Amino acid sequence: MAEVITVTSGKGGVGKSTLSANLAVGLAEAGKKVVAVDFDIGLRNLDMILGLENRIVYDVIDVMEGRCNLSQALINDKRSKSLYFLPASQTSDKDVLNKEKVAELVAALKKEFDFIILDSPAGIESGFEHSIFLADRAIVVSTPDVSAVRDADRVIGIIDAKSQKAKDGEEVQKHVVINRLRPDMVESGSMLSVEDVLSILALPLIGVIPDDEKIITSTNDGEPIFYDKNSQAAEAYRRITKRVLGEEVSFLDLTAKKGFFKRLFG
Amino acid sequence: MTLFERMFGKKKESAGNAKARLKVMLATERADCHIPYLEDLKREILEVVQKYTGSSSDVNIKTEKNDDVDMLELEISLGKN
Repeated sequence: MAEVITVTSGKGGVGKSTLSANLAVGLAEAGKKVVAVDFDIGLRNLDMILGLENRIVYDVIDVMEGRCNLSQALINDKRSKSLYFLPASQTSDKDVLNKEKVAELVAALKKEFDFIILDSPAGIESGFEHSIFLADRAIVVSTPDVSAVRDADRVIGIIDAKSQKAKDGEEVQKHVVINRLRPDMVESGSMLSVEDVLSILALPLIGVIPDDEKIITSTNDGEPIFYDKNSQAAEAYRRITKRVLGEEVSFLDLTAKKGFFKRLFG
Repeated sequence: MTLFERMFGKKKESAGNAKARLKVMLATERADCHIPYLEDLKREILEVVQKYTGSSSDVNIKTEKNDDVDMLELEISLGKN
């Protein structure tokens, strides 16, 4: 059975597309057939994170409007051969999506793929609604700061109201990913801790990703960090992937590394 | 680049990479205003290239304006398939 996973957040800039890209790579590297769909119509970005921006011929709207076949629009990843990418359209008309067409597209993708990753736009408008509409699972990304947590809470509150699955009396699985955590700041009491965020959002945790400079350089290069064996963030993405696949994995040990002076005197 | 970096070499600079990729992307998107057919042109070129080489080819388009003449610079990398 194919699974539709929507990555969402409410607030922009918290790492939705980076998670979408790395989860998609991870699932593909685990041998699954995966498609990552950029639902951020008008503000395409997943293409650059995956490094596929110069291969786009058709986009998701072209498929929905029947201007091309699905197979013509799907772009095969450079490294992970069982990963495909469906780019967002760059049109400024946000209302080009509608429920019937989204349903048709998702049904077609479900026939071809094991996992369908929908990268939702920020906000709670129609783009978000369309991306959550057919989700089996929603992953809500938040950074440990007040605005992101507040917006995440808002989004969590409306997922069920916008979901077909919830309407049918079934449950949409919901999880939280806490992104860009700074263990040193948590330890000194100047950043919300994982526990703080979870006590507010009251959803099961599926991943904690430490703040990692390598995320920036990997985005610069258009190479998802997942492949980097030495990055802590990459390890966090690998563990999230395993949890999505149903494995029980421990969480990364993110206690702050003590500096020389702290070790002497701390 | 500092002398130190030049002497001892430096890891591949990813910021330069980011700048180059963004410039190419934005040039195409912005040029859309005065070359309305650019997006379609790029698409059709890419379609033809992919028809012969498979889907792993990249097409970079840069535009430049010289007096009254619009110039296109095309860079096509034929990926291995």
